Amino acid sequence: MTANDPSQSFLARHQFLIYRLFSLAGLMPVGAFLVVHLLTNASVLAGPGVFQSRVDMIHSLGPLLVPIEWAFIFLPMLFHAVVGFVIIANGLPNVGSYSYVGNVRYTLQRATGMIAFVFIIWHITQLHWLGTPFGGGRFDPHHATSSAAVVLRPLLITILYAVGILSTVFHFSNGLWTLGITWGLWTSPGAMRRANWISIMVGVLLGGAGLGALGGMRSVDVEQAKVIETRMEDVKRMLEGGQSPLESSPSHGQAPAVHTSETAAPVVPTSGSVPRTPSGG
Amino acid sequence: MIRSVESTGHHDGGQPSQSPADHGGNGHSAPQRFVRVRILRQDAPGEESYWERFEIPYVANMNVISILQQVAAQAKSRDGRRVAPVAWDCNCLEEVCGSCTMLINGRTRMACSALVDRLLDESADEIELRPMSKFPVVRDLVVDRGRLFHSLERVKAWVPVDDSYDHGPGPRISPENQEDAYPLATCISCGCCLEACPQFTKIELVRREDESADDFEARRTAAFDAGFVGAHAISQAMLFNGHPTGKMIADERLTALTAQGGIQMCGNAQNCVAVCPKSIPLTRSIARAGRAATVWAIRKIFDR
Repeated sequence: MTANDPSQSFLARHQFLIYRLFSLAGLMPVGAFLVVHLLTNASVLAGPGVFQSRVDMIHSLGPLLVPIEWAFIFLPMLFHAVVGFVIIANGLPNVGSYSYVGNVRYTLQRATGMIAFVFIIWHITQLHWLGTPFGGGRFDPHHATSSAAVVLRPLLITILYAVGILSTVFHFSNGLWTLGITWGLWTSPGAMRRANWISIMVGVLLGGAGLGALGGMRSVDVEQAKVIETRMEDVKRMLEGGQSPLESSPSHGQAPAVHTSETAAPVVPTSGSVPRTPSGG
Repeated sequence: MIRSVESTGHHDGGQPSQSPADHGGNGHSAPQRFVRVRILRQDAPGEESYWERFEIPYVANMNVISILQQVAAQAKSRDGRRVAPVAWDCNCLEEVCGSCTMLINGRTRMACSALVDRLLDESADEIELRPMSKFPVVRDLVVDRGRLFHSLERVKAWVPVDDSYDHGPGPRISPENQEDAYPLATCISCGCCLEACPQFTKIELVRREDESADDFEARRTAAFDAGFVGAHAISQAMLFNGHPTGKMIADERLTALTAQGGIQMCGNAQNCVAVCPKSIPLTRSIARAGRAATVWAIRKIFDR
């Protein structure tokens, strides 16, 4: 009956802590990563050069990127997913008998959680270098826009991504609202209603960013993006190793002028850049 | 469905009208209407449940209890078989005792305040009665709500003044506190919030042949302790944690609320507040308990 009955299993004794950590993980770091990820991707709408510079910024972490990914993205996400499946398994949705808005949201929260889980695994396999052994890992951080655009271009893939993104965004923004109740941020019905508007606004904003990124990837000119990316790569190399862009990109037969309208916008990181493997790890 | 059985003897001297169940005749020219009821019955704990259909004369302003009284009185199914009267729980008949909760047309509510005319608006064909699905069935519509009361024990839903000493007058309660507490105090332990909760699932244990009554009770208590306490208990814990004398054991209630099956099991579906016949702000209590648990957990980490 008490919290620390030694006869109980570890999981039973610490159920409250585990569920609260689960709730927290959904916001930080997993939810925070989702926001950064979707907004970064939406930068493709400003041109392949802008998106490339954002990706370069992330990859300027160099060898720290892998431990950061595992510590702040993959492991918390896996923890959130495992506890989430336990929660789903222990619930008994009854939206057929009680079709209240809250109950529909309860059911959707679980459905979108499962969709998001499948989608994210597929998404990682397809684009992240972790998926390389499985025939995926097709995102090239040196050619951020073009490599992603080629993968996302087929209509079916775009539709599946749209479903995956919207499910993930619903799960996060609705989860934001329930998190506020769980931790006791908003307690009265009025406060819950007002908080709901925050949740809706976050959802619309992130949903727009996600779909915008997807649309941006579809509408981008892959060949042109490749040219821009190659030029940016050359500039980076030049700045790092004192190499001239003229020497490094003769094969493309393009004028070596760097400052086209699209490459002028991004600020190319000059320091902290570490030579990367082509797989982008 | 309300069937209007037009008297077939209208033209030949006012013969009694016949209903299929052979109880409709009243000898008057006014049409007798009938209410059809489908009841999910179960003869004993653990036995198979089965549907039985009844047809009873319609009376204006009936409630589900008066239907069940009529079913018991006629003890005859619609196809004319003599059957054992349907068992059900009720007491006050004014939505105060909380004992007549059942699934009426698929939704949890009190049989005493479920009016037949409104139910027929919902499903004109037939009224459906089922026992609550989250508690073990004792017989027909009677369920064992022991777990509901055990949850109240878990969170110590009482003011701990249990001795014969004169402690003098208790602390004053402000009007604001009263207004806050009163809605929570109207809980009738009917269990509607638990029945509608997707996170509250049935725990039904069967006593083993070689098991003593005490051993079974201990096993049942342990199973109840591991399960979700439920919205009613969380709300009662908040009621007594807000009471000037009750809050003396506030930490004990929070310990119970953060133990296994505590507040963390809430999934925020908010069905509890939607079905509560007393309109108790249960989700407010749950959120307040969540806040109290947050503060309590932080205090526990840093103040020890």
